[in-house]
Amino acid sequence: MTSLPIQKRTLAMFAVLIPLFVLFVYVALRSGPLAPVSVTLATVENHAITPALFGIGTVEARYTYKIGPTFAGRVNRVNVNVGDSVKAGQELGGMDLVDIDERIRAQDASLKRAKAQLDEAQARLYFAQTQAQRYEKLFTLRATSEELAATRRQELQVAEAGLNAAREEAARIRSEQEALIAQRDNLRLISPVDGLVVARNADPGTTIVAGQAVVELIDPESLWVNVHFDQIHARGLAAGLPAQIVLRSQGGEKGAAGHVFWIEPLADAVTEETLAKVVFDQLPEPLPPIGELAEVNVDLPALPPGPVLPNAAIQRIKSKLGSKLGVWQVKNGELQFTPVTLGTSDLDGRIQVREGLKAGDQVVVYSAKALNTHTRIYVVEHSPGVKQ
Amino acid sequence: MISLAGRDIMHAWGKFVFTGMGLGLLIGITLSMAGIYRGMVDDGKALLDNSGADLWVVQKDTLGPYAEPSSIFDDAWRGILGMPGVARTANVTYLTMQVRQGERDVRTMVTGVTPGEPGTPGWPPYLVAGRQITRGHYEAVADIATGFALGDRLQIRRNHYIVVGLTRRMVSSGGDPMVFIPLKDAQEAQFLKDNDAIRQQRRRTAANPAFNRPQVPDLLNAVIASQSTNAYVNAVLVQIEAGHDANDVAESIRRWKRLTVYTRSQMEEILIGKLIATSARQIFMFLVILSIVSAAIVAFIIYTLTLGKIREIAVLKLIGTKNRTIIALIMQQSIALGLIGFVVGKITATLLMAPIFPKYVLLEPLDSFIGFGAVMVICILASIISIRAALKVDPAEAIGG
Amino acid sequence: MAGKGIRIEGLKKRYGSGDTAVDALKGVEMQVAPGEVVGLIGPSGSGKSTMLKCLGAVIEPTAGRMILGDEVIYDGGWKVKDLRALRRDKIGFIFQAPYLIPFLDVTDNVALLPMLAGKPNAESRKMAIALLKSLDVGHRAKAMPSQLSGGEQQRVAIARGLVNRPPVILADEPTAPLDSERALAVIRILNDMARQFETAIIVVTHDEKIIPTFKRIYHIRDGVTYEEAGEGRDF
Repeated sequence: MTSLPIQKRTLAMFAVLIPLFVLFVYVALRSGPLAPVSVTLATVENHAITPALFGIGTVEARYTYKIGPTFAGRVNRVNVNVGDSVKAGQELGGMDLVDIDERIRAQDASLKRAKAQLDEAQARLYFAQTQAQRYEKLFTLRATSEELAATRRQELQVAEAGLNAAREEAARIRSEQEALIAQRDNLRLISPVDGLVVARNADPGTTIVAGQAVVELIDPESLWVNVHFDQIHARGLAAGLPAQIVLRSQGGEKGAAGHVFWIEPLADAVTEETLAKVVFDQLPEPLPPIGELAEVNVDLPALPPGPVLPNAAIQRIKSKLGSKLGVWQVKNGELQFTPVTLGTSDLDGRIQVREGLKAGDQVVVYSAKALNTHTRIYVVEHSPGVKQ
Repeated sequence: MISLAGRDIMHAWGKFVFTGMGLGLLIGITLSMAGIYRGMVDDGKALLDNSGADLWVVQKDTLGPYAEPSSIFDDAWRGILGMPGVARTANVTYLTMQVRQGERDVRTMVTGVTPGEPGTPGWPPYLVAGRQITRGHYEAVADIATGFALGDRLQIRRNHYIVVGLTRRMVSSGGDPMVFIPLKDAQEAQFLKDNDAIRQQRRRTAANPAFNRPQVPDLLNAVIASQSTNAYVNAVLVQIEAGHDANDVAESIRRWKRLTVYTRSQMEEILIGKLIATSARQIFMFLVILSIVSAAIVAFIIYTLTLGKIREIAVLKLIGTKNRTIIALIMQQSIALGLIGFVVGKITATLLMAPIFPKYVLLEPLDSFIGFGAVMVICILASIISIRAALKVDPAEAIGG
Repeated sequence: MAGKGIRIEGLKKRYGSGDTAVDALKGVEMQVAPGEVVGLIGPSGSGKSTMLKCLGAVIEPTAGRMILGDEVIYDGGWKVKDLRALRRDKIGFIFQAPYLIPFLDVTDNVALLPMLAGKPNAESRKMAIALLKSLDVGHRAKAMPSQLSGGEQQRVAIARGLVNRPPVILADEPTAPLDSERALAVIRILNDMARQFETAIIVVTHDEKIIPTFKRIYHIRDGVTYEEAGEGRDF
């Protein structure tokens, strides 16, 4: 007999139900844990790696001068402010002199008195000289006694000695005065070099102890960056290597050129960092503040070209024999793990391959899930869900 | 014999399919609930798998680092590395916080990973774009669930990080996506406060005469510097050498280092048994409620459909249709409704709910089979009320008074 | 009479028990020969529906005897085990309203009965279409009941009642919704079928348009029947 009449209604119903069923089958097979995993491949290339080191540091001054008194006292004046440029020998400020000025004046007076005494001794000597000469002459003319001549000779000697004494006394007083002046100078705070004032720690009237700095200076020409490098990533660091210094205030701009000045012989054992000093080839204008953070990239000499991998491709898998570093490769549509030995890497994520792969090999670089030898895969250009 | 149920459905197929779709949405939600539970368990397992660790060493007597806060010194790894059976150790910190990018911020788990090479425990084991971290500071690898893209600048506390790599399924046990940054930056983020707090602390320290001695000018600076450093990490991840038993190595670390050590199975128990237990109970309750609601709705629909046919059923009985046939009519309709509902539900759950739900929804084939069976059982049971009503119909009603 | 036909003797039906009992049928006597179409006339409440229900093996009488064809179906109790099969095979029903199954097309509405009896689908449909053609609705064989006019639906319903060639047909007000031309057409069809297939047909009606066509009429009043000769008018 005739089969079921195909009516429009039936067709319409199938038009809805069949796609629904197809969708259902698709959903059952292609999603969830049964679904194949998408992978992206990359080719191992021959490339000359320029390894680089990365560290962060702070801008510091090589020479810092903390100017302060050697005795406890009161600050009398501070002539400079932060940011002033000073010249060597310029007076930055001074401590309270207390009684030094008075003592210098006293010494002045003493000196004058000593001078007067010197003059007096000089006059006595002259007179004694004259007398001695005269009596000497008289003695030769036998007009006077030997005793008198001897007495006058002795007076001459006494007068000479007196002059010496007065002269030395004057010298002594002068030296004492110079000592007081030196002390007074000591209470002046003098800049030892040309530099920039970076700190003004005490204002006039403050009492400070010996050793406390009133003004701190730096030599702006001696700015360097004190950089910390993770010890793991500090291999190859050596003095003289070129570097780029990016100050925190510069954000993403290209950094200033510089080079590694020296590497500290004492590393930081607690933070496991190697310290190095990196200087600017040309000091930036305006000068960066002391203490500003900087990121430093040090370029190591380029290595000869060799096969390189992106570091995203490297996996560690565990097996009964231990864990191995290597990459996944797709051979005949299936996954295979290839152990590799790695060399140096650069800061862009490329790692040298010493053993295990050669240029032109394809490796799995991105995958949507963790892979194992049984995973079903399909190859895509870009991982799904990643904005390009 | 033709299928009465089939004919009835085809006659009003639009209404039937529409009703089935409505039921399907409900079933889809139920399946998604099961998927959410499985997703939560998978989140926990993914977290453990992705860390690459065989053992977790944490502060003594804590359930850390995921279930409880844990702090150990960041040089504790040195002693652990020397123990027999230990192949690799790595410090790791975890902090759940808001990460800002541009105008928006995202709740993430910021993970500090020790510098090293790929394959170090704590590092993301696989990427979907970009590369792993190479610099010791200010680079980040983010999970795509955060919505960040390569090259985005993130702000974590006071520092900015450039996203250099993207991962997938790197989530915390709570479902928060992870962002990996270098360990030192993470330590700073974890313990260093904001600028205002730091200034306050400096002021307090300077006001303390014990630290601010004029004869010792640098003492104050030294004290302030020591307050700004952080020497703690949340856990040490340990990978074991081949041939050694995880429990033995864990026991020796416990004994000699006097720290708490968890093996993989213990961590799973903590995460799934303690952390997720409450949520699991909630979801299970929801599942039960939804199933009951679905059953009630199917029963209601079938009852309505049957009542609408009560006259025809009386006629059928009168002209001699067997009870069996009438039962088959109702039950086949119920099962067909359930089938459509399940198909629509499965499609809804997979294509609609799973991608848009904020948590990970894992729909396993086993769940689908169980769900299908449950839907069929519910449909059959739900049709019983209608069948009873249909069988009670008196064929004499077809003959008028 | 031997062979086919309907014979009812002393049929009683009591609803309820005790003080509230109602005797719907108090001893009905009726016989219809094969090929005969008789009318059953009575006011509402007279028990005609009850009688149809008893004869249709839908409710159980309280006492009496019912013979369908050569089979005693009731004699103080049901003598047939499977009442449903009885209804399906031996009794055809034509109701006041067509009561077609709305989700089956016209052919299947009719073919349903032989299918229920176990006949293969193809043969059942063949039988249905032949009957529909003879009732002048063959051209609507593929339509759904809702697409038919009232008269066409009624004819399909009649075809359904006839398709299994039951020896007995019980028609309950089959012409009530129809105009006189259509009503007479229905009566004509019934008579043709009765003659052709030797079916005994009881038509319950109070339609004045068709009552004159019956040769024999049973009146039922207060649960008892009275036979009367009808006009037997031509139609």
